Amino acid sequence: MRQPARGTSRDRETARRGGVALVLLAAGNGSRVGREINKVFLPLAGRRVLTWSLDSTRRLRNLVSTVLVVQDHDLVHVREVLRREGDGRAVELVQGGSTRHESELHAMRSLAPRIHDGTIDVVVIHDAARPLAGPTLFTEVVDTAALLGGALPVLSKQGIVFSDGTNVDGQLMTVQTPQAFHARPLLEAYEQAAREGFVGSDTASCVERFSELRVHGVAGDASNIKITFPEDLFLAERLLERSGWRLR
Amino acid sequence: MNTEHAHLTCSACGQVAEHELRYAGRLLHSTRCAACGHVVRHEQRDLYSAYLRDLEQRLVTKPRRLARRAAQEPRSFVTGLPRAVLRQPVKLAGELWTLLRR
Repeated sequence: MRQPARGTSRDRETARRGGVALVLLAAGNGSRVGREINKVFLPLAGRRVLTWSLDSTRRLRNLVSTVLVVQDHDLVHVREVLRREGDGRAVELVQGGSTRHESELHAMRSLAPRIHDGTIDVVVIHDAARPLAGPTLFTEVVDTAALLGGALPVLSKQGIVFSDGTNVDGQLMTVQTPQAFHARPLLEAYEQAAREGFVGSDTASCVERFSELRVHGVAGDASNIKITFPEDLFLAERLLERSGWRLR
Repeated sequence: MNTEHAHLTCSACGQVAEHELRYAGRLLHSTRCAACGHVVRHEQRDLYSAYLRDLEQRLVTKPRRLARRAAQEPRSFVTGLPRAVLRQPVKLAGELWTLLRR
């Protein structure tokens, strides 16, 4: 992965010719049992986690398609959430797979005709369980990908030690979403991965293995947390409160 | 009080397990792991002040939210308005009860 991208905002704007497609992953990996709901449907400061994630993309220019990947058993729930809390945009629902990789493949195949006809030239993929990514990070990632091929947010990780207490050498980085890429090579990479039975841990791993795209890091955001532990919900609530309940 | 259930990773037992999440108004009040019983909650003092700030914000933004809903779904907005208005005192009392009974 390349280090932070160069290029002015004008360069990045100029680099974008076609449209942007958003793929929001909300399929989770568990089956729904009784009263349990997918964590992306949990309330967070008066809205659903998913709604905050969608709100992060409100300033994306040239957004021509929004794809939400969900499991079948969440379809009724997601339609209700979009009806009550959506911003009015058209959202295409695509069935999730058994893995994140498979869900991404389904989403890419649903976009394939528009990628082939040139309507979409950048695809940005985001985990719906990261509700605080914010419009600024989305714009940065998409503009960088449009200019350079691929981009993802990275964050320096410090203070990591081995189990014996010795420090880990070198600089460790954590990778977040949203991750954005030129659409056509991304689609081809996923089709190639499907033919070879490859299952990647995230979008970038598939891109790096099956395409020539260079993936560039942009500065991640420590507040772009993924809802994993219960404490993350408390933290997300606090961060939203501090920002006046507005994503930045 | 609103209660939801979802699979989350417990910071105490490390299992991805069902958690019960209890809400006071828009704020998360507490969570409880069904596997080990571990409870995470706001400090009481924090919760009071957070609740008051949240209540203020809800009141300030209510007209805008109502207007948006009226524009989006005028028919269901009009038919549902009387019930929604009548429900507010009960809803508020329920939230206060949740805060005070800990």
